[in-house]
Amino acid sequence: MDTRHDEQLIPLAAVRRPLGADDVQQRLRYIVEKERLVLDNLPQKFLEAFAAILKHSNYRQVIDNYARITARCAGCATACQIYQHTRDPRDVPCYRSNLVLEVYRRHFTARGLFETRVLGREYLSEERILEMASSLYDCTACRRCSLECPLGLDHGLITHFGRYVLSEVGLVPRALVISVREQLEGATHNTSAIPLPAIVDTLEFLADEIRDEKGRTVEFPLDQSDRDFVFFPAVSDYLMEAETLMGVALTLNAIGDQDHWTIGSHYLDGINYGLFYSDWILEKTLLEEIGETRRLKGRQILIGECGHASRSAKAFARTFGGPDTPPVVHIIEHTYRAFKEGRLRLNPDVVTERVTYHDPCNISRTGWVLEQPREILKAFCKDYVEMTPNRSTNLCCGGGGGTVSVDELRPYRTGVTGAKKAEQLRATGAKFVVAPCANCKKQLRELCEDHGLDMQVVGLHDLIYRAIVLD
Amino acid sequence: MVDVLIDVARGPLLRASLLVMGLGLLRVAVLQATELGFAWSRAGDRVVPWTLVLKRGLAWLWPWRAVRDPERAPYTGASVLFHVGVLLIPLFFLGHTQIWKQELGVSLPSLPAWFADTLTLITMAALIWLLASRLASPSRRRLSRAQDWWLPSLLLGCFAAGWLVAHPRFSPVDARMMYLAHLLLAEFLFVLVPLSKLQHLVLFWTSPVSTELGWRFPPGTGDRVRATLGKEGQGI
Repeated sequence: MDTRHDEQLIPLAAVRRPLGADDVQQRLRYIVEKERLVLDNLPQKFLEAFAAILKHSNYRQVIDNYARITARCAGCATACQIYQHTRDPRDVPCYRSNLVLEVYRRHFTARGLFETRVLGREYLSEERILEMASSLYDCTACRRCSLECPLGLDHGLITHFGRYVLSEVGLVPRALVISVREQLEGATHNTSAIPLPAIVDTLEFLADEIRDEKGRTVEFPLDQSDRDFVFFPAVSDYLMEAETLMGVALTLNAIGDQDHWTIGSHYLDGINYGLFYSDWILEKTLLEEIGETRRLKGRQILIGECGHASRSAKAFARTFGGPDTPPVVHIIEHTYRAFKEGRLRLNPDVVTERVTYHDPCNISRTGWVLEQPREILKAFCKDYVEMTPNRSTNLCCGGGGGTVSVDELRPYRTGVTGAKKAEQLRATGAKFVVAPCANCKKQLRELCEDHGLDMQVVGLHDLIYRAIVLD
Repeated sequence: MVDVLIDVARGPLLRASLLVMGLGLLRVAVLQATELGFAWSRAGDRVVPWTLVLKRGLAWLWPWRAVRDPERAPYTGASVLFHVGVLLIPLFFLGHTQIWKQELGVSLPSLPAWFADTLTLITMAALIWLLASRLASPSRRRLSRAQDWWLPSLLLGCFAAGWLVAHPRFSPVDARMMYLAHLLLAEFLFVLVPLSKLQHLVLFWTSPVSTELGWRFPPGTGDRVRATLGKEGQGI
């Protein structure tokens, strides 16, 4: 590692627990939405939220199952890149899950109630809840551990559930809540607070760029009705990932889909932080996407290069929108289909630098998008190399689960959760790392900066933009 | 007196403990199946890729990847050997099949004596290894609850007593006392099965389905939760 960056990395000891009572506000300052968290009667409020969620959701059967059978063998630790870096027993996924499961055992089972009420063995306290909050947001929810548990426990599900409970008592990273509040209640209706006129200007600017660079007139259709696809990228792409958006627009134009897609002005943000911390927010956000698609009479929801946006829509659109919800398509799936049909042609002499591919957890863990981007890249990148491990057993970028949005966590993300990823990147010797996910891109760029890696982090459609062959 | 106790332990006590185990596991299985059914019926999206869930479950059932991983292979190997022994010996060891026939009227094939003997020793070695690795690993130690220690210890005691019954010249106590101890330990373990993490005997088969349905949310949950918590109408 380049030592001139060492001073940027806060030593591990400085970012670790344990929590002391006086340390609470300081340690969790990024995790509480309000300026000062009111800790009055926190255990009672926590249990009420826990109970309410169990009552109205489908979590009870899986929490109960896991609480009964967990072997506590630490098999999950071998898959957890955080534990592999820190070797701290508190970073074993099962340890984290058991912080939540023990609440269930002690307060929601007959034996637990006997232990707490009759034998007086209290478990839940303010300190335990704050330890839980700290631990659950140390996790990137990459679900790599779920591949290794011998009893099939999905620790990512427990992290998801635990964060949901915490959100109902006000323990959420401030950065996420502020973005969501703007997205669902604010004037701009998106997480980056970009006014619509600015987005429209940006789209016009990007169209001009494409015309200047490629000699092709490409439109970014807005509010067109009765189209095959309504497009939802991560809204941050409009300002920060111009090449990705240009790549998508040019690709759709080149494969004959210019008149088959549109962006909706009433709602255009694919980001869904509900996946990270609240099922209530997850549903509200998806209903916006589905509502906009229906308003425009779109036939499919087309998600851009964003991992969590894709998974939120793919896994949950039908859940909240009903059986007649328009199906969800990932832009890579659509581009790949065109590539296989011969409608997308790519020049193999343009990208000569070494290229590698990073599998975003949210689209690769279940095997959804794995081979499609690889086939496309291998078709035009002369020097393509794989990272190891890859595909559904990939390593997380280190910024998953919403942690990339919390700037205070950068030293932890680049020094701890992303450390293994940095080693992986360095081992490839690549010049370009293709990461079709807005959050992964931010995290990987910060990793490259903090670890002195001379690499460009790009989207898949960024490179397609460079190599596309136009008629 | 010991002979009377052995007769009771082999007879009514055995039947009672198996009944408790059977009914207990049946209760756990029925409750789990019912809960899974409710979860599916409440889910907003009931189109579940059952074939994929089954394939995923089958793939994870046999730990191919774990046995090839140098870090995981020892623990996984010991665990597999232990499970093979703890399932085969109680059911198919000759001394046990005779009891199943005489006391329950159930006929099961018997393992060759040399195989059962060897497998018993392997099972005990695996148990000792698992306990030792739990003690030696800071991660596993930190994770462990009380039953993670005394359950394997009881199992080890039961297997050791059983082996000593079959090899009385090594037994430190009278063979009949050792037999009684073995019977009582086994029956205690039968009763514990539905009351401890040993109930994974039944529940672990449903883990893939349980997890899949855990991610199948009922629509409107968030609003109902907030209404219950008195937060209706409150902003984000």
